Amino acid sequence: MVAFPYTSSSELKVLEIQAEAILGAFRARGYVCEEPSVLQPADIFLDRSGEEIRRRTFTLTDPSGRDLCLRPDLTIPICYQAVKARTELPARICYNGLVFRHQPSEPHRPTQFFQAGAELLGLADRAQGETEIMALTVEALRAAGLKEFSVKIGDLGLFGALVDALDVPAQWRARLKRHFWRVGYFEALLGRLTQGAASDAQRLLGSLGGLSQSESHAAIEGLMDLVADAPQGARTREEIVERLMEQAADAAALRLDPKIADVITRLLAVSGTAEQALAEIRALTRDAGIALDAPLEAMQARLAALKSLGVASDKISFAARFGRNMEYYTGFVFELWARDKEGPVQLAGGGRYDTLLEMLGADRPVSAIGIAIRTERVLAARRQEGGV
Amino acid sequence: MASLTLAIPSKGRLKDDCNAYFADAGAVLKQAAGGRGYRATLSGFPDIEVLLLSAGEIAASLLAGDVHLGITGEDLLREAAPELNGRIHLIRPLGFGFANVVVAVPQYWIDVSTMADLDDVCAAFAHRHRRRLRVATKYTQLTRSYFAQVGISDYRIVESAGATEGAPAAGTAEAIVDITTTGATLAANGLKTLEDGTILESQAQLAASLTADWDGAARATCEALLARLNARARAKTSQILRVRLNGQAEKLLQSLSRIASATVLSRPTDSSGEYSILVPRGKLMDAVNALRAEGCDAPATTQDADYVFDTANPLYAALAEQLPK
Repeated sequence: MVAFPYTSSSELKVLEIQAEAILGAFRARGYVCEEPSVLQPADIFLDRSGEEIRRRTFTLTDPSGRDLCLRPDLTIPICYQAVKARTELPARICYNGLVFRHQPSEPHRPTQFFQAGAELLGLADRAQGETEIMALTVEALRAAGLKEFSVKIGDLGLFGALVDALDVPAQWRARLKRHFWRVGYFEALLGRLTQGAASDAQRLLGSLGGLSQSESHAAIEGLMDLVADAPQGARTREEIVERLMEQAADAAALRLDPKIADVITRLLAVSGTAEQALAEIRALTRDAGIALDAPLEAMQARLAALKSLGVASDKISFAARFGRNMEYYTGFVFELWARDKEGPVQLAGGGRYDTLLEMLGADRPVSAIGIAIRTERVLAARRQEGGV
Repeated sequence: MASLTLAIPSKGRLKDDCNAYFADAGAVLKQAAGGRGYRATLSGFPDIEVLLLSAGEIAASLLAGDVHLGITGEDLLREAAPELNGRIHLIRPLGFGFANVVVAVPQYWIDVSTMADLDDVCAAFAHRHRRRLRVATKYTQLTRSYFAQVGISDYRIVESAGATEGAPAAGTAEAIVDITTTGATLAANGLKTLEDGTILESQAQLAASLTADWDGAARATCEALLARLNARARAKTSQILRVRLNGQAEKLLQSLSRIASATVLSRPTDSSGEYSILVPRGKLMDAVNALRAEGCDAPATTQDADYVFDTANPLYAALAEQLPK
């Protein structure tokens, strides 16, 4: 597709018919259509979705000086509305609309494209929600007229569960989880942790770690007094002392056991057909004496759900690394792929984002899962199949 | 009609340093209409039109192909074009206008000294304060790419037009990315740089726009200018060693070339004459010691050159390689 697509009347017609078929599949499962405005206040995107999305979001300032943006997705404004309007949960919402993305290093890619999607908010039974969204996606693509596709699945929670089961300091745990999808950077981080850290602050913490709790607390308070006049940067004294105390407690174990790093590296290398990958992870965790029963069973259940939808098991692949760089995903993630005339193309992507609504102001955690379908790509894939 | 345009900073320390740089190579900048003109000429190079622009405009003009050559800070060039490849060619760093682009946080944060600490704090901050930690900067591109490189994503950039170092005290940002030379301004504002928070060690660069109109005349003028600048730079970093090398000259010259990267400038016409050998300044004593070690006991003297012209023009050759054939 070109950077600034121009849609002809015949193409528009085909897309409309296809979108109607997709939305029909959503409605059949009780989803209702909504549409947030194209122009959005910039804050809700820029504060919640990280700089990667910001880099790809078209922002502008209106004549009165407000910062606005063209919606880079519909999930965030839909969830924001659900929080503001205190929508009754569970809620099933679907949409079909344009999203706008700046493509900084790929100027030939489209700056706007259609997404048809669905969000399932506040369903307590997570497994049921995942099954529903997978079924919805498969049904929608079939309703659109697509025959062949493959499914790629992953689970950010699996890696989190592994890290939780490891004997490592809390701050490393958080860091390992945050970075696991960054190929290259993550390996470097693991390397640093295995070699031990060497910054001045960490050496200081090493010595604080040798003191008793109250002694190290007093020492930190003394240090804080020395910088009392510096700007606080919105962080409270308690916040800083707390982090230092945690680090001091961890300082005794400043090196990550290479055996643990090895388990992590091997787990992250697992990729292949889902059945085979699951077996590999089972063997790996059994050898390392780590219990990951719950997330592995959840994965098994997802495979069963996909099979009952008629997706052959050789069409389902799993990669332990597979997360999404849309930073709000928190657990199960999946993508549907097919081919257009240029090669493999991702038609749909979705997953669980259990922390987003709280970030947007909900007063308690709300389980959430959704899917977005790139309808123009679906059309291209159908043409490749000869179905249009 | 000038065939080549060269943009240099219109004011401040950078302008003075540019004037001194060209004057040192025997090319004097003369502003067209008194001190306030925005055009100038360069003595000895009638085909060059010099434009005086702000340092930021120079980066933009190079990027747009409006000027052939320009002198400005590398920080501004890299900020204007995250990917210099194919757009701007850095001809040579000029040894002035030094400044680092650094990540700085409040000194109050005694728990933060590395980018990894900042990463931890960014994540905890987003969780605790329900918003992302703000980084004030005018270097949005450099900040984004550096933070991405070190793996920090839980932050938000606040564009700053000036006095970035005051943002944490004013409460408009928690951390900053800014330029610093001594760190004194940062310290005066209660900020400290992170150990691995240096994004770019910048200095003034002579740069060429690869998208400008490089016709034959522009290339020829550029080649002549770079030949002069290179000859002057070479003269300043070398000395001429004059010495008689009786009998074992070839052996001595070989070890001088190996030990002290020396090159022979001229050979004597008779056996009692002196050789002229070009030696990098830092290697002069190595060269003398090598001569003595090999048994050469003739007196050696040194001489400074104003220019060392050679048939090779490495500065222009590197540029020509990037220009369309």
